[in-house]
Parts: sequence; structure tokens; C-alpha cells
Amino acid sequence: MWEKMNRLCDLMEPRVMDDDMLKLAVGGQGPQEEAGQLAKQEGIVFKDVLSLQLDFRNILRIDNLWQFENLRKLQLDNNIIEKIEGLENLTHLVWLDLSFNNIETIEGLDTLVNLEDLSLFNNRISKIDSLDALVKLQVLSLGNNQIDNMMNIIYLRRFKCLRTLSLSGNPISEAEDYKMFICAYLPDLVYLDFRRIDDHTKELAEAKHQYSIDELKHQENLMQVQLEDEQARQEELEKHKTAFVEHLNGSFLFDSMYAEDSEGNKLSYLPGVSELLEAYKDKFVIICVNIFEYGLKQQEKRKTELDIFSECVHEAIQENQEQGKHKIAQFEEKHLSSLSAIREELELPNIEKKILECSADISELFNELMMLEMQLVEQLEETINMFERNIVDMVGLFIKNVRSLMAQCRDLENHHHEKLLEISISTLEKIVKGDLDEDLPDDLRALFVDKDMIVNAVGASHDIHLLKIDNREGELVTRIDSWCTHLVDKIHKDEIMRNRKRVKEINQYIDHMQSELDNLDYGDILD
Amino acid sequence: MMRPVEVRKEETTLTQETLRDLEKKLSEIQIPISAELPAFTKDTIDISKLPVSYKTNTPKEEHLLQVADNFSRQYSHLCPDRVPLFLHPLNECEVPKFVSTTLRPTLMPYPELYNWDSCAQFVSDFLTMVPLPDPLKPPSHLYSSTTVLKYQKGNCFDFSTLLCSMLIGSGYDAYCVNGYGSLDLCHMDLTREVCPLTVKPKETIKSEEKVLPKKYTIRPPRDLCSRFEQEQEVKKQQEIRAQEKKQLREEEERLMEAEKAKPDALHGLRVHSWVLVLSGKREVPENFFIDAFTGHSYSTQDERFLGIESLWNHKNYWINMQDCWNCCKDLIFDLGDPVRWEYMLLGTDKSQLSLTEEDDSGINHDDDVENLGKEDEDKSFDMPHSWVEQIEISPEAFETRCPNGKKVIQYKRAKLEKWAPYLNSNGLVSRLTTYEDLECTNILEIKEWYQNREDMLELKHINKTTDLKTDYFKPGHPQALRVHSYKSMQPEMDRVIEFYETARVDGLIKREETARTMTEYYQGRPDFLSYRHANFGPRVKKLALSSAESNPRPIVKITERFFRNPAKPAEEDVAERVFLLAEERIQLRYHCRDDHITASKREFLRRTEVDSKGNKIIMTPDMCISFEVEPMEHTKKLLYQYEAMMHLKREEKLSRHQVWESELEVLEILKLREEEEAAHTLTISIYDTKRNEKSKEYREAMERVMHEEHLRQMETQLDYLAPFLAQLPPGEKLTRWQAVRLKDECLSDFKQRLINKANLIQARFEKETQELQKKQQWYQENQVTLTPEDEDLYLSYCSQAMFRIRILEQRLNRHKELAPLKYLALEEKLYKDPRLGELQKIFA
Repeated sequence: MWEKMNRLCDLMEPRVMDDDMLKLAVGGQGPQEEAGQLAKQEGIVFKDVLSLQLDFRNILRIDNLWQFENLRKLQLDNNIIEKIEGLENLTHLVWLDLSFNNIETIEGLDTLVNLEDLSLFNNRISKIDSLDALVKLQVLSLGNNQIDNMMNIIYLRRFKCLRTLSLSGNPISEAEDYKMFICAYLPDLVYLDFRRIDDHTKELAEAKHQYSIDELKHQENLMQVQLEDEQARQEELEKHKTAFVEHLNGSFLFDSMYAEDSEGNKLSYLPGVSELLEAYKDKFVIICVNIFEYGLKQQEKRKTELDIFSECVHEAIQENQEQGKHKIAQFEEKHLSSLSAIREELELPNIEKKILECSADISELFNELMMLEMQLVEQLEETINMFERNIVDMVGLFIKNVRSLMAQCRDLENHHHEKLLEISISTLEKIVKGDLDEDLPDDLRALFVDKDMIVNAVGASHDIHLLKIDNREGELVTRIDSWCTHLVDKIHKDEIMRNRKRVKEINQYIDHMQSELDNLDYGDILD
Repeated sequence: MMRPVEVRKEETTLTQETLRDLEKKLSEIQIPISAELPAFTKDTIDISKLPVSYKTNTPKEEHLLQVADNFSRQYSHLCPDRVPLFLHPLNECEVPKFVSTTLRPTLMPYPELYNWDSCAQFVSDFLTMVPLPDPLKPPSHLYSSTTVLKYQKGNCFDFSTLLCSMLIGSGYDAYCVNGYGSLDLCHMDLTREVCPLTVKPKETIKSEEKVLPKKYTIRPPRDLCSRFEQEQEVKKQQEIRAQEKKQLREEEERLMEAEKAKPDALHGLRVHSWVLVLSGKREVPENFFIDAFTGHSYSTQDERFLGIESLWNHKNYWINMQDCWNCCKDLIFDLGDPVRWEYMLLGTDKSQLSLTEEDDSGINHDDDVENLGKEDEDKSFDMPHSWVEQIEISPEAFETRCPNGKKVIQYKRAKLEKWAPYLNSNGLVSRLTTYEDLECTNILEIKEWYQNREDMLELKHINKTTDLKTDYFKPGHPQALRVHSYKSMQPEMDRVIEFYETARVDGLIKREETARTMTEYYQGRPDFLSYRHANFGPRVKKLALSSAESNPRPIVKITERFFRNPAKPAEEDVAERVFLLAEERIQLRYHCRDDHITASKREFLRRTEVDSKGNKIIMTPDMCISFEVEPMEHTKKLLYQYEAMMHLKREEKLSRHQVWESELEVLEILKLREEEEAAHTLTISIYDTKRNEKSKEYREAMERVMHEEHLRQMETQLDYLAPFLAQLPPGEKLTRWQAVRLKDECLSDFKQRLINKANLIQARFEKETQELQKKQQWYQENQVTLTPEDEDLYLSYCSQAMFRIRILEQRLNRHKELAPLKYLALEEKLYKDPRLGELQKIFA
């Protein structure tokens, strides 16, 4: 009785999750006995803790947990937490218990992608949502809450791994159809409210809700298909982008030329211009498609070139590593035997002689390994330079050819411009003479005031077109250039990194060997 | 036409006379050899049971013989210097038969005999060789293949006739050859041949595909060695090699000299017969010879075949018109070429060289031999059908193969013995003994092949020089053994045991043992263990118990290696761990990361020490020395090291236990092997109806049951009419009157029988009742004086008698009921009886 009173009192006084509390908990739950002594001696780093239990502590606010980066299991049940927060850093969490708290909404779980078991039993939750990130969720406990809408169940359909669900003690569990509904909409569920769902119930439920589920499934499928289509399109575009020729496999460029060209659009209503435009567009698109196909082909070529290069480099490195490993293995064999010989040797001068021999061996190994590495560096440098030359040449050729194709586009535009000017002037003359047969739209007629105006209008349209073509060409050239520089830079950088790493590794190994020898020396002298 | 005979004549400048003299002398020498071998003459053959075709000739055959005689006459006229043709020897019934008709193409029902090599091997195994009566002449008799198969012996002509029949039957383009062979060939002497089983298959040297250097393949580092020095070195090496080679060659020559046969005085004169297979059919790529004696194939260039006189198949006969001065090396086997091969029958087949026949006039040959015989022949005449019965080999004979199921072949430095399966109780089917010297005295090694062993033993190989025995097993041994090589069956000795690892739960492939070590190799284990090596120390002596089981040798060191576990990062995946049990030291080596050349190492020194205050030291930094390629934070912690060490301690215990269990297993295997060797039981397939006792019994029981069933059926179909029909004269059709009488007699007889039976039952019934009454009377009279035993006896008698009476009564009643029905049934049956058809006619 007294205890209960005490607890009630505690309830009134929330406690703060401070360092002391966490240390105490970690210490109490850490290794025991001999290992415990060691742990105490050394102190435990929060980063290494895998499991933490913080129940019945009247915690109001989750705090100070950011250090527990590798935590797998966290128990925060039987507290007075009102809001899920401060768990963002615990990305390795698999097991989270927040039952018997005062939580009202599900939130703050978006980073816990590894969570498999989530318990929110006995809280004040009324809606299931914000769980989208928990793709691995297997067990979800939401009993004794205030969920009152069946539609919450449909939200749970997205969790493909969900096998156990508890919802008893919610308003929806009172519903007559509760069990059937859940079984029907979550067919992969195995346990509901801590009971196994038998196959018979599943069949019944499926039969009962078949119509609505089919509809739901149909919709889901449609969505899925749409999504896949979108993805495929995106991928295709991405592929074209890597070849730097996206949107050139059609009239996209041509259309964009006329998109912002109001004069050009107006002028197209002139007699004879539409046919002209048609022919112009056809020719233009053919050149665009040529550029596009050429670009893809070149991209393929660059890719194979790069593949061969990386394969060769990889092979060379592998072979070099094998040689290095072989050398080390040989050395170790010898080294071990000489070490044991030193240990067994009794006379001091002999020991010293042998130790000297040993360190000579070590430095020889160092020389050999470094020699191998230097050799590889030289070889790779040569190869990389060759590759660089080739790829730059390739890119240069590509740019040159694209430029010439683009020049064709410009020629077409010029030609078209001349024709258009001709028609415009003749139309102007006709209008001036007043023997124009066709009716022209008002805004077009407004252009035909005098010769300057019409020439200006046609010229403006022409300028816009040329600008568009120039822009596209410029974009292509800059992008491929930057790609090329990036690639070459990366290759150089990678090689430097590799070299540094290897040198460091060799040094480390040699240092270790030398220090081992020195220690032996020291120990023997002590003896 | 030059024949080898003439070649010899030129060489030795012998006159015909001296030659004949020599022949005579030599044939005398031959006699003891032929006397030694089993004679196969006409007297031993029982011709009484042979079919007519063996004893007579059909008109067509007669015609053929005439044609052949004509051919032979013309031939001897045109080629007087050649020996007479081997055309129509006598058969076992002393009837001349043309050689082609003696061939009986037969496809054997055994799939093993479908290919030429197995076929030839079978013929050579199945028949015993008998030398020709005169080694310089073809035999006077050529027996049918059926007779040869029956007596399982024959001369070279019998051998090749049988083989040729079988080969043609299975679709080969095969021919019997009458020619001249070397002494070894004619006497089936293989002592100068290398045994084919000892010849190691030449290792096909895989020519490594020269990978084209890719565009960016790195250049090799510059070679800084002096080329001049290298050249000098190479020169020196070459000189040494040349010298060695020379020595080797000299050695070889010396050996060859020793092995070379004594020159044969009759070289080139010995008649032999073999089989020629021409390319074309059955995907045979090129022509070759088969010696039917040995079943070996030879190239047509082989120098043991010294000449060809003629050859034939089941359709035609060809004479060789080519010169055989260089053995058979220059012969061209284009049988369609009439210049080289003179055929006997026209147009049967073989016109490979059809163009020469058309261009006959165009080619002018001085030899008019080519036109020989052609004019006389009936163009449409073709070979009559073979007079030989179908060649049959019973499954038993096929399995037994060699005469009496046993055969010994002596090769050069080797002896091969063969037995039929199940002939030896330990399943031994063949044994190859290899000798060091030509005289076959020092045994080098023995190979024994077994079949149908229950312990799946397949081959036993004993090397006499090293004394190493190796047993090879087929899959299915209870301990999954594959190979077991050992010198002694005692435990803890040198031995290697290989296993079928898929049949073992622990994935063990191989276990090698020496006196002080045991090495095990594993594959495909979930813990990625690949290798375990244990070193043992000398056994600690115990006074009371000293058997291996109770006093295991102390383990000094255990080394375990692991494959890479892809689920773990390389720096946490142990590659090798060494438990130095004596020093209480544990060494770990980790796997090397893909982009590194060094691997992490860790060494635990497990000393339980006490510090100055007397507290136990749990863990100190110097108890764990580690080298890490990429130093990590958490591994520096004592706690981590402590836990790792505790884990290793447990693992060490397990490994020790494993080693101990392996030792036990070896003991168990040795025990099992000894038992199996002692028992050597053979398995019998359930499909083997002849040997499988159980199935035989079952089958016999089934047959007995069937037989009884059959008898019963016979009884039910008892012929009622038979006794009455017997009174009438047989074979005559019944008249209506007779039929009616027969029927009436039969019915009245049956009626009488029914009445008799009823009377019989009645009589028994009455007798039984009377006896009972008598007994009852006796009982009533003597009731007072009876002992209880007698009374019991009486009562039991009464109950039995009552039972009998009741049964008899029932039977009588039943008989009364059934008798009229039976009578009617018989009447019905008689109406329907076909023999009494007359009755039916009237009533119908």
C-alpha cells in the first residue's frame, strides 16, 4: 500500500534523463562478474551500448540519448512520456518499447529505418500514421489506445513484413467486423492480439471483403504501374543525359525555338509559310535525331573505353597485391622461425647478432614492398596518362562533330529566315498594293506597317532561334567538358589515395614488426 | 604381284627348294606347341544336331561355288606365282561353303556390344585361341560362328569371322582379311606389348589461350638483366640437356635391344586373319585393323601386319592386287578401284571409285587381270544368304565371358588376370600385376578391381616398392570413404583417407595422418572451416591402461583455417587460428581485405597470474598483442579482448573435442574396414533374377501357386463326356443318334452318381447314429461303476458324435437340394458342348 502511494507520489515528480541516470543504468545493465570489473575499470562508452532499459523512472521527456549510436534495443516503458522525440540518432534501433506512457501522436520515428518491433501499448494515440520509414516493421503493438477509425488498418497494408499486430482495447476493437476486417485487409498477418489467425478465419474474411479488397488491389496495382512507368522514363532520360543529348530525339529543340517567339508564331500565318515551316521542321528534326544517335554511340564508346581501362587497372593492382602478399607470407615464415630461434638462444652476443639479422630482414622487406609499390605507381601513371589522352581526344572529336551538325541546323535556320523574309516582303508589297487576297489575323496585319517593322520582326524571330541553337550547343559542350575533367581528376585522385594508403599500410606493418622485435629484445634483457 | 614371300626370297636368296625344306622343318617344330593347346578338330564336334543348311548346299550356293571355282581358275592362270585363293573351305559337316556366306551379320541384344572396341574385346575374351594347323596356309576348314561360340575356341579365321559378323551387324563397314602377320600376332603373344592398362593417359596439355593484351594493360617493369648472360646460361642448359637426352636415348636403345624379338625365320609367311574396318559408317574417321585375338585396334600402317591376300564381307570378295613389299603401309583401301582390288561379284556394292569403272577403256593398263572373271559373271548375281544359324549368346555366357570365367594375359612386364563377376567370393574381377623386369619375377605393383562389393570397394592398389596400399571406393560406403591409402591397418600410422564430402554432415574431404599429426580438410561448412591440423605429443605412459581410446595422446597444437565469410568484414573474419596448448597461447590471423596486402593479427597469452596484492589479474594489456591494419577503437578495450579470449577458450575446448572425436572415428573406420575385409559380402541386384536368392524363392513360390491354380482349373473343367466318347471310334463325327445316346448315358450316369453319393451320406449317418445309441446303452448299463475319467471320455465322445451326425444331416439335406440343380446344369452344358453339336442342330 505504501509502495503504491510512493509510486503515485513519484508520478507527480517527473525526472530528467541526465548523464548520471544514464550512466547508472548502463553500469547496472552492462557486463557482470570478471568482465564487469574490467568494464568498471575502463568505463563504458555510450557508443558501445547495444541495449538500454529505462523503465519505471518517471521520465517525462526523452533526452540525452544522442550518444547511443549503436543501440539496438531501447525500453522506455512505464514512464510519463508525452511526445516521441530525441530518437533521431538511434538509427540502428531494432526494438523500441514505449508502452504505458502518455503519447498522443506517433511522430519522430522517421530515421529509425531498422526498427522491427515497436510497442506503443497503453497510450493515447488515436490515429496510426508517420510510420512510413519503418519498412522492416514486423511487430506493432497498439493496444489500449484510442484508435476509432477502421481506415487506419488500410494504412498498415504498406508494411510487407508485418506479422504481429495488437489493437485490442481500442474503440475499433469493439466493432462487430473488427477481426474479419483486419484479416481481410492484412492477409500476411499471422498473429492478431496475441492469437494466431487460423486459415479458416482468413478464408472467411477474404470471402467477406473480397469485393472491396479487389478494388483496393486494383488501385494499388495501377499506382504501381504508373510509378514503374515514371521510373522507366526517368531512367531513359537519365541515360540520355549521360550521353549529353537528352531531348534531341524529337522536335523538342525546334518547339522550344518557337515557344518564346511570338513574332515567328504570328508570321506562320502568312500564306506559304506553314508549308515552309513544315519542311524546315522535318529537316531540323532529322539533324537533331542524328546528333542524338551519334551522342548515344559515342557514349557507348566512352563507356567501353572506361570499362577496359578500369579492368586493366584493377588487374594490375590485383597482381601487384598478390606479389606483395606473397612476399609478406615468405617473410613471415622466415621471421617466425628466426624469432623462436632468438627466444631459444642463450648467449647474449648470439642474440644480438640474430636480432640484427632480423631487423635487416625487416628493412629488406620494406624495400621490396616499396619497390613494388613504386613500380606500380609508375606503370599506372603511364596507363592513366594514355587513357586521359584518349578520352580527351574522344570528347574533342565528339564536340567537333556535334558542332558541325549544329552548324547545319544554323544553315537551315538562315535559309528559312531568308525565305521568310522574302515572303514577308512580297506580302508587304501586296498589302501596299492592296491586292492581297487572303485574310490575315489582326495581330499579324499589325506587323505589316512598313518594311522596317516587318524586317525587324522577322529578324527578331531569327535571333531567338539562333540563340536557342547556340544555347543547346553550349550546354552540351560545357557539360561534356566538365564530365571529362571530373573523370580524369577522379582517376588521378583515386590513384593518389591508393598509393598513400598502401604506403601507410606498409609503414604500419614494418613498424609493427620492428616494435615486436624491439619488445622481444627488451624482454630478454629484462630476463 | 609381289608378295612378302618374294621379298624374303630376295633378301635371303633362298631357292624354292630350300624354302620348302625349311617350311617342312619348321612345321615339325610347331607340333609340340599345337599339341599343348587344346585341339579343335572335327571329331570333337557333334554335327548330328546341326540344321540342314549346314549339311547341304542350295542350288544358289552351288552356283556361287561354280562361279568361285571359275574365278579361282582364271586367277591362278593369270597370277601363277600367287598362292591359291581362300574361297570355299569346308565347314564342320565337310561341305564346301563360300567364305562370304559364312559371315552372318548379327546385331547383338547387348548394348555393350554395340561399339567395335567392346565387341572386339568380347570376342577376344570369349574364345580360346587355337593356332592354325599349318601356320603357312589358310585352314582347310572354316566352321560356323555358332559352333565356334558353342565350343568357345577357334583359330584366327574363326575369331575374325565371328567379330566381322558382329561388327557388320552393328553397322560397321567391316571385312575379314586373309593375310600375313608377324609371329607375335599369329600366336597371340602379347609379351612384347605394353599392357594398355598400364599406359597412363597422356595429359592433354592445355594450351593456355594467349589473352590478347588489352588496350590499357600495364607494361611490365623494365628488365635489367644482361641478355648476354642469359644467352650463355641458356646455352649451358641446352648442352646439359642434350647430354642427358643422349644418355637417355642410349639407355632406351639398350633396353629396346634387349626387348627385341629374335628374328623369325618364317617372317612374312605366317598366315593370319584379322578384321579391317573402313571409314565412313558409324562415324569411323579412318580405316583401321582389329586383331580379333587380342581385340586391339591397329593403324593400317602397323608393321605387324605384313600383307593382305584377300578380304571379304557378307556381300563380296576382293583380291589385293597391290604390292605388299612394305607391309600394309602403302595399301589403299579403295575397294571400288578394280586396279587395286579385284572383286569377284559384280555390282553388289562398293563402287566408291565409280568413275574408274566408267572410264575403264580410258585407262590403259597392261594388266589384263582387271578384266578377269567379269565376262562370265551373271551381272545380277548376288551373294546367297548365309547358311549359318542366328548367332546367339546367352546372358549367362555373356556375363561369364571367358571360358570358365577366367583368363590370363601376359603382357610385357605385366600380367592381367580376369574373372567373371561373382566367380570369386570376394568380388575380384581383374588383377593387373606389374613387374620390374622382363622375366616377370620382381613385382612392382598390383592392381585389383572388384565388383558388386557391399563395402563399395572398387580398386585395390598395392605398391610393392613402397608397400603403400590404396583402396578406392565407389559412392555409398557407410563411412562415405572415397580413397584410403595406408601402409598398415594399425591406428596412428601414416594414412590418408578421402571422403565423399557431400555424403558427410561435417563436409570432411580428406584426413591425413602421420604418427604425430592429423590434418583434416573440409569443404562447404556453415562455419567456413577449411583445414584443421593437430600436432600430438608423445603419449604419457600410464601403467594400467594403455589402449588408444582410454589414453589419448596429448595435443600440442591445433591449427585451424577458415574460408572467407562474406557476411563479415575482412578485419573481423578469422583466417587462421592456432591454439598452442602447451604454451597457453592463441594466435589469430584475420583475412586480408581486398585492397590490402597485410592482414590483422592478434595473439593471446593466457596466463592466470596474481598481482602483488594477491588479486587475480583478469586481463592486462600485455596479454593480448594485436596488429591491426586499420586500427579500431573498440578493439583496444580490455573488455573486448577479455570477451574475445573467453570465446576462444570455449572454441579451443570444442576443437580439442573435435580432434579427439576424429581420432575415435579413425579407429572406428579401421575396425569397420577390417570387418568388411573379413566378410567381403557381395551385393546382388534385385534385378538379377539368377543370383538373388530371395527373389528366386519368391518367384518359385509364385510359380508353384500358379501351377496349383492351373491344376484346380483343370479339375473344374473335367470332361464328363470323355469316358463315353472313349467307347466310340475316335476321329469320327457323331451321328444324331449317337449324340442322343451319349447324352442320355452321360446324364443317367451322373444321376446314378448323385444317388450313390446321397446313399453314401445316408449310410454314414445311420452308422454314426447306431454307434451313438450303442454307446448310450452301454453308459446307462455301467453308469454306476464308471470312474469320473471314463464319464468325461463318454461325454466328450457324445458331443463329438452329435456334431458329426448333425453335419452329415446338413450335408444330406444340402445334397438333396443341390442335386437337381447340378443335374440340370450338366444337361445344359451337354447341350452346349460342341461335340454334341448334332443335338443342338435339331433342337435349334
